[in-house]
Amino acid sequence: MQNMNTPRLSDDAPVVLEMSHVSKSFGAVTALVDVSVKLRKGEVLALVGDNGAGKSTLIKVLSGYHKPDSGTITSKGKPIRFESPRDARSEGIETVYQDLALIGDLSIYHNMFIGREYRKRMFGMKFLDNQKMRGMAEEYLSTLGINIPNVNSTVDRLSGGQRQCVAVARSIYSAPSVLILDEPLAALGVRESAHVLGLVQKLRREREVSIILIVHNYSQIFEVCDRINFLHSGEIVLDAATSDITEEELTRTVKSGLGRLLRPEDAEIALAAVP
Amino acid sequence: MGIVSNIKNDPVGALSPAGKRSVGFQRPTTPLDKALTLLSRYREASIAVVAVLLVIYFQIGSDNQFLTSQFLSVVLRDTGRLGLIAIAEVMLMITGEIDLSVSSVFSLAPYSMVLMANSLGVPLPLAAIISLVMGVAVGVLNGVVTVRFRVPSLITTVGTLFLFQGIVVWINDSQPIVAPIQEPFNALFGQNLFQPDDSLLSWHAVTAFTPFLWTLAAVIVIALVLNRTTFGLHTIATGSNIIGAREIGVRTDRIKIYNFMLAGGLAAFAGIINTVQFSSADPQAGSPFLTLQAIAAAVIGGTSLLGGSGTVVGALIGAFVVATLNNGLVMVGAQATVSDIYLGAAILGAMILNVQVNRLRARRRI
Repeated sequence: MQNMNTPRLSDDAPVVLEMSHVSKSFGAVTALVDVSVKLRKGEVLALVGDNGAGKSTLIKVLSGYHKPDSGTITSKGKPIRFESPRDARSEGIETVYQDLALIGDLSIYHNMFIGREYRKRMFGMKFLDNQKMRGMAEEYLSTLGINIPNVNSTVDRLSGGQRQCVAVARSIYSAPSVLILDEPLAALGVRESAHVLGLVQKLRREREVSIILIVHNYSQIFEVCDRINFLHSGEIVLDAATSDITEEELTRTVKSGLGRLLRPEDAEIALAAVP
Repeated sequence: MGIVSNIKNDPVGALSPAGKRSVGFQRPTTPLDKALTLLSRYREASIAVVAVLLVIYFQIGSDNQFLTSQFLSVVLRDTGRLGLIAIAEVMLMITGEIDLSVSSVFSLAPYSMVLMANSLGVPLPLAAIISLVMGVAVGVLNGVVTVRFRVPSLITTVGTLFLFQGIVVWINDSQPIVAPIQEPFNALFGQNLFQPDDSLLSWHAVTAFTPFLWTLAAVIVIALVLNRTTFGLHTIATGSNIIGAREIGVRTDRIKIYNFMLAGGLAAFAGIINTVQFSSADPQAGSPFLTLQAIAAAVIGGTSLLGGSGTVVGALIGAFVVATLNNGLVMVGAQATVSDIYLGAAILGAMILNVQVNRLRARRRI
């Protein structure tokens, strides 16, 4: 089951990002309840759970989009408060959101560099250095093996898969220390999925990037992830190394909707729970 | 073998699902294709064609009276006034908002300027600056109410429209006041000193077009800001995909408020120029009709009402078309009231053309 290229992580690797006892609710809807997550250096952590379990909220708290109601976030050992995604990005946390956060009316290269534009000084004012950004975007996309014919075209004109590639490329461009990917494979075919998963492993191996991954295909999780956190109704109910759990157990656990790990001996419970 | 090796073995890129030709740019071949490509690539192109046709029509219809400096100074004065407000609306419309209160600022700012100069003895340039700041402050109010209290800007600015128009009418019992305009303020911002026997390359000839020249300068500055600065990029991002823009760290609330401030400032500036031209501050100078004409100019110039895209150059040409229709029809002998009928038809025609050209662009991918 396990990929030979994936080095397993020891427990003493330093924690790069930690969320402790975070709760978040939106009006009457409670999205996260006392959630604690630890991410070690060079680790790939899978976040699983049903729709509405709080996965996207969790990563949006980590990426500075939502502010937690209570609890703390610690980055590289020091407590930190993100006022906006800008703060998280400057802390080295890059996120690929489920909706990709691409600007349809802007060119691919502007999308690549939005929020960290290259500028040059002219007449005492700072203007966008479009030429530089265009060139760098072209070069970077081709080194990643992403085939985009023209970086001048607007994102509107790209296919779903190409958009996803641009979003992933943008997130890894700044060499982040933490990369959060919310369903990065949703619009990708088999080959493209393999390519993105390959990138994930390459980043981890070569740059020791820590990665949080939300994927719905569990076999992909077992290919690239070190650890699995299972989120159920806003709570982390399972935190296990991928080596301690089988794909079948994970599938059955999530399917049951019971919010607890089901081992093979719990087969009857699982069956009873599934309508 | 592992997945990782795929990257090295596959340099042409497995990541592009549809392959190389998916976003191909077809080369136009026939003259028709070329014309269509030009029309669809530059949003300003269609309105520019309309403007040229109108000028030709009125030039012929008026026995060559249209393209004279006397008549053009009137058309361009109106173009300048409309254009300043239109480019303010363009920036706001790109962020997905709109400002209907600009006409009240157009009245309020110069009226306060003249009142300050007359009653309090404030030097006119200083009074002008204070009035500009007031316009910007109205923009802050519009922006904060819209962004923080989440009132749609259409409603916010209808509220501030009545509020400030009401204030300016109330201050001095709706009385117009004579403005103490002196040189060089006069020549710089308003008065047409051009005489028929003056040389075209004289200082007096330039003053015939001062309002328009100010607008032209503003258009160049705003076009640079929109297309060449981070602020412009973030303005487009805010209107194109506000959630995505926030996710990537664009401060969308601030961007909107800044654009409301810009609109207030430009409206105040347009009002001041208008008052200097007529040497009189009229509390009724700006009617909501002016705002609607400016919005029409922006829209027929190629700015989307849905946010995310717009062009200030197109808005200026749009303002020229509106001003040309208003003045030209009267010159060729139509009743003043008829020009609105043509304007209405022109707006509908331009919008239908715009939508169709955009569809064409989407289909042909040019």
